[in-house]
Amino acid sequence: MFRRSGHKEPFEHAGAVIASDPEMALLMAKECFFRRREGDHLWVVARSDIHSLSDETLLEIAADKSYRFASDYRDVIEKRERALARAREIKGE
Amino acid sequence: MTYEEKLERFERHIDNGGKVEAEDWMPDDYRNGVLKFIEMHANSEIMGAIPEREQIPRAPSLKRKMSLTAKVQDEVGHAQLLYRVAEDLGKGRDAMYADLVNGKSKFHNVFHYPTKDWGDVALIGWLIDGAALVTQAALLDSSYAPYTRVLKRICAEEQLHLRHGEHITLELAAGTDEQRAMFQDALNRWWLAIIHFFGPRSNVEKDLLLKWKVKTRTNEDLRQEFLDRYVPKILELGFTIPKPTPYKDGDHWVINEDDIDWTPLDAIKRNDGPETARRLGLRKRIYDDHRWVRDALSAPTAHVA
Repeated sequence: MFRRSGHKEPFEHAGAVIASDPEMALLMAKECFFRRREGDHLWVVARSDIHSLSDETLLEIAADKSYRFASDYRDVIEKRERALARAREIKGE
Repeated sequence: MTYEEKLERFERHIDNGGKVEAEDWMPDDYRNGVLKFIEMHANSEIMGAIPEREQIPRAPSLKRKMSLTAKVQDEVGHAQLLYRVAEDLGKGRDAMYADLVNGKSKFHNVFHYPTKDWGDVALIGWLIDGAALVTQAALLDSSYAPYTRVLKRICAEEQLHLRHGEHITLELAAGTDEQRAMFQDALNRWWLAIIHFFGPRSNVEKDLLLKWKVKTRTNEDLRQEFLDRYVPKILELGFTIPKPTPYKDGDHWVINEDDIDWTPLDAIKRNDGPETARRLGLRKRIYDDHRWVRDALSAPTAHVA
């Protein structure tokens, strides 16, 4: 079963039930996973309809793509200091 | 329930801060307004990739080339996310692409202008992405919930793009006289277009998107936030802001609305800006050339024995 905790959130897998049909699965999911109003919406999907990646290592990033991460631009702080020093030099301060 | 009763219930829901999902009942004006708004945002992401793409061959190092290429890829990805959200409101993706390349729909003003050199990459990455982030962050609380969910990812990636743009700008700002002149030249050419980017003063009485909280803030309010945030940063780097020049008024950096020349925007609204035809032609050519890819992907999977 997939549960959405609010309009701003995506549906997330939150548990599994065994049931004879979708209607029963929804009822079981509601009783088991919504006892404390944990979300505002609910999906159930038959496990046989879920297709998963056979090899998790395919998700590894193939080459150095550090420029896709904010950490690669951490030296922006020193860069700003140098740029500000240069600006002061030009203004004659 | 009559239409009037449904409308009243919808408006009460919105007034109470309620959100709308694709499958919910909504007035036609809401559906069409949200669709047009998201379609324009999607168009702008895909057209916005083109000016920066033009500068990829001019990147000063391999690292810069890789990071700019990755950014262009992100922007095209944003367009795909947004077209997907727009499709659920009832207009097919092919129809949206056709309306874009045939000049029937719109995209943001800044993507109708030419780029000149690496100074433009710095300026677009820092100030235009900065302006876009101000407007997009304001939409995170939009009443149309599917839009806010994709905006979360878009804003996170734009935050990275902004850092990337600032990084390039600061490198030029700390560099030689020629490097500093490149950024100043880009600023001179782009400033008015950035001011236009937020649009003219909102008509709060007539704007249904504001009334129904699809947009949560007025154009002038967003422009003010941009000016307050970026004008001090531009000035402290020793650059000069051209007309319409902001001035300090209390805690704010303001521009007199009378100082803004709106005439260049008129041609852009007619899809007749300096680079409009050329870029739409390029978009159409890419779309036509890639037809075989779409056909191949939509065919049933071929299993090779």
